[in-house]
Amino acid sequence: MKPDRTTSRERIDALLAGRTTDHVPLYPFMLGFCTKNVGYPLATAYSDPQKSFAAQLWTQEQYGFDWGPIYGYASYGTWEFGGQVKMPEGGYEQAPSHVSFPVQTEEDIDRLSLPDVKTAGFLPLAMEFSRLQAEHGTAITLVLGSSFTIAGNMCPVEILYRWMLRKPELVHRLLRLATAHIIDTVKYWADIFGAEQVIPQIWEPLANNDIISPKQFEHFILPYLQESSASILGTGIKHIFYHICGQQNLNLPYWSQVSMGNPGICSVGSEIEIGTAIKHLGDKAIIAGNIAPHILLTGRPQQVYDLCKNAIEAGKKAPRGFMLMSGCETPPDTPPYNIYMMRKAIDDSDCY
Amino acid sequence: MAKERAQNLIKQLHDAVVKMDEEASAQLSKTILAEGIDANRAITEGLTAAMSKVGELYTNQEYWVPELLLCSDALYAALDILKPEVKVEEADIKGQIVLGVVEGDMHDIGKNLVKVMLDAAGWTVHDLGRDVQLERFVEEQQRTNADIVALSALMTTSMLAMPKVIQMMKARDPNVAVMVGGAPLTREIASSYGADGYAKTAVDAVAEAVKLLKPREIK
Amino acid sequence: MTKFKQDEMTEKERFEALLLRKPIDRVPFFPYDFAFAPVMLGYSKFIGYTDADKGFDAIVRTHEMFDGCNYAFHPGGAFPARVFGGEVKIPTSEYAMAVALERPAVETEEAAWKLQLPDIRTRGAIPLMMRFSELQYKYGYPISFTSGSILTRLGYIIGVEKMCRWMLRKPELVHRLCQLVVDFLVSVAEYWVDTFKHPELMIPLTGAPTDSNQIISSKQFAEFCLPYQKEVYQKLRDMGIRHIFTHICGEQNLNLPYWAQIPMGDPGIVSFGHEVDLDTASKYFPNDVIMGNVEPAVIQTGKPEAVYELSRICIEKGKKHPSGFILSSGCDMPPHSPPYNVWMMRKAIDDFGWYI
Repeated sequence: MKPDRTTSRERIDALLAGRTTDHVPLYPFMLGFCTKNVGYPLATAYSDPQKSFAAQLWTQEQYGFDWGPIYGYASYGTWEFGGQVKMPEGGYEQAPSHVSFPVQTEEDIDRLSLPDVKTAGFLPLAMEFSRLQAEHGTAITLVLGSSFTIAGNMCPVEILYRWMLRKPELVHRLLRLATAHIIDTVKYWADIFGAEQVIPQIWEPLANNDIISPKQFEHFILPYLQESSASILGTGIKHIFYHICGQQNLNLPYWSQVSMGNPGICSVGSEIEIGTAIKHLGDKAIIAGNIAPHILLTGRPQQVYDLCKNAIEAGKKAPRGFMLMSGCETPPDTPPYNIYMMRKAIDDSDCY
Repeated sequence: MAKERAQNLIKQLHDAVVKMDEEASAQLSKTILAEGIDANRAITEGLTAAMSKVGELYTNQEYWVPELLLCSDALYAALDILKPEVKVEEADIKGQIVLGVVEGDMHDIGKNLVKVMLDAAGWTVHDLGRDVQLERFVEEQQRTNADIVALSALMTTSMLAMPKVIQMMKARDPNVAVMVGGAPLTREIASSYGADGYAKTAVDAVAEAVKLLKPREIK
Repeated sequence: MTKFKQDEMTEKERFEALLLRKPIDRVPFFPYDFAFAPVMLGYSKFIGYTDADKGFDAIVRTHEMFDGCNYAFHPGGAFPARVFGGEVKIPTSEYAMAVALERPAVETEEAAWKLQLPDIRTRGAIPLMMRFSELQYKYGYPISFTSGSILTRLGYIIGVEKMCRWMLRKPELVHRLCQLVVDFLVSVAEYWVDTFKHPELMIPLTGAPTDSNQIISSKQFAEFCLPYQKEVYQKLRDMGIRHIFTHICGEQNLNLPYWAQIPMGDPGIVSFGHEVDLDTASKYFPNDVIMGNVEPAVIQTGKPEAVYELSRICIEKGKKHPSGFILSSGCDMPPHSPPYNVWMMRKAIDDFGWYI
């Protein structure tokens, strides 16, 4: 590998400041892979901030990638609002999963209250993790779902989707509460670490167009995204990292109406071409993506390499910058050599 | 005279095992029985003591695996003759142990030598062989109500099966002791796996098993 | 990877310079990765035993990933059990590591006395190993084939327990069989030399786990291995092969004075298990490259800092060796080793292993 001319932190800082970087930054987006890489049990990625941080930092050093460590999972919201999750176990689980939801009926919504950001769910662990981020000078990234994803973790999605059609007012109640919680939590982080240091990471997997329509996105998701992002940026936070997960091509015109910071960061899955992401979001956000996780997991090295080279080539046109990233979380059992190929593809591309 | 004769024959039996003389140990065993000498006494004073001596010779690097194997041949030549003649109430049974090489591993010399030492020392050994599926250890312990489960592994890959077996065993019955052994293991690794005991060599295995034996109910 | 000091030589240049006794930039790294490498690519760890192309590709790529040196070998898999008519088990269990002997070719003394050298070219693992060598040749790797050990190979023909018993009961039979193994190994070498025509490109491999003092005494080694192994190596040298890779596996401290009587090459590469201190190794093999010897169980289950520290100790001892040193694990890299731990070995080279 060619030697780097800057550190990872310098590279990310340059990217966020709109300066030229020595090479395309890389973020394979992985937690369980990292714990496996260093010999820790998979669950420690989520249950043990110290081990999770160390595993990611070491793996970052080994593979030469730039973003992270991060701490979070897609089921965020269940535990925080009074439900239960369980840590991954066995050979086939990847992340915490639901055991019970706080909301199963309309009446359950009445019993909900805004979680205490100091004690609810995994937030104390997340805080411990962020203190490690601060200590090590890495970006303080608080990972939360968007309002809609949090709502889908407060209440089973089969119920949520039915209510969207039958009882939309209930959905709005959940979304209101979720939005208030996001704002509350981010403000708490900003108070502790200083707004300029915090980069909230908002994941939105439930808005997938294989499930909901763009009209439903416009009605149920967009307003809350706009509200929460405005509030977040109002604290002095400069960048929000949005993970636009899965098939969301039809939602992009709405995503482009969300303030993301100066710039924001938008990561997209393999379902969205880099060029399309640039068209809709390139003027306001660094584009990150979009290597398909299932190709990372099962593809031959040359396939991974080619995908990365193509993404890098397309990403050169992103006016606010580009970061090579997997389209969603890299599976823990991904062949290590395929992760190496991501870095090799960067190395073989023209440096900036 | 009779007393002296008995002592003499048992000593000869002991020496035959130590000197790897399979034929002699079989012949002497027959003679011992024919002369009405107590079979259990012959086993404990002759065979168990002989294997203890063999263990010493191995520890002192005078005997090696080839010698141990031939001593074990001599041992079993005698044991096969004497054991059926031992009255159950007199048998000095130390305990019951399930023994096997874990799944994925075909190397069983070490395990076989552990079996020899345990047999000689009066243990009832349920030998599952090699490449043993993990659940089999638990099933066999359940079937036999054995006091101890002993796992062997020679490879770094197969040793990874051990914490799983230990976990399964403890979930079923936390009072059953599990001991481990094999080339890539250390006492530290054994402890991190949750094992109750560890033996570096076949010779050490017997002492370790004795340490792990808990008092049993008299039935 | 990206944070290491820039190499002044390619892996090929470094390995060749080492064997020519020329200065090199840093300590080379050999990951010993026949089973580990496939896992890095998402293959079964046993792929090399059935698919030489995938096995070789996995090794080359893994060496690229970890800056591994320009050497690879195919162990055959309980070699040469099938060549002589025995049966092996290709493993499938997640806990297995290598091919195991299922049924030996020889089960009785009578059969042992009658055992003859088979026609090797199409038997057992030979075609697979030959295909592996074709790839070595094509991609500029030294060509390897099996050159020992006598007792380890014999153990795969008749079974280790039987061999141990016969060493005491029927030594003359064991001697006969050892000579047969010599003839077999020489015939393998001749086949390889006939095929590739360039013995100077060859570095055959001797794996010697059954010779360990955990099984046999040094006297037994001296009687049943030494003279025959010496004969094989002399014949290989006579064919024009300059370097032989000898892996002295496990606890063999008591055998070292005997191994040291075997000319290993000019130089040979002699690798050691963690049981042999590298200072001791250096003393016995002053004219050969020595290699080793981080404990594999620590690489698999230990903390990264433990692996790093063991690697540092190995490097600091090995660097002093006048004929050169390669850092490696003390035996096969456990396939389930955390990749970060393997990387720590390379990192230790970057921190302590530079000659310039």
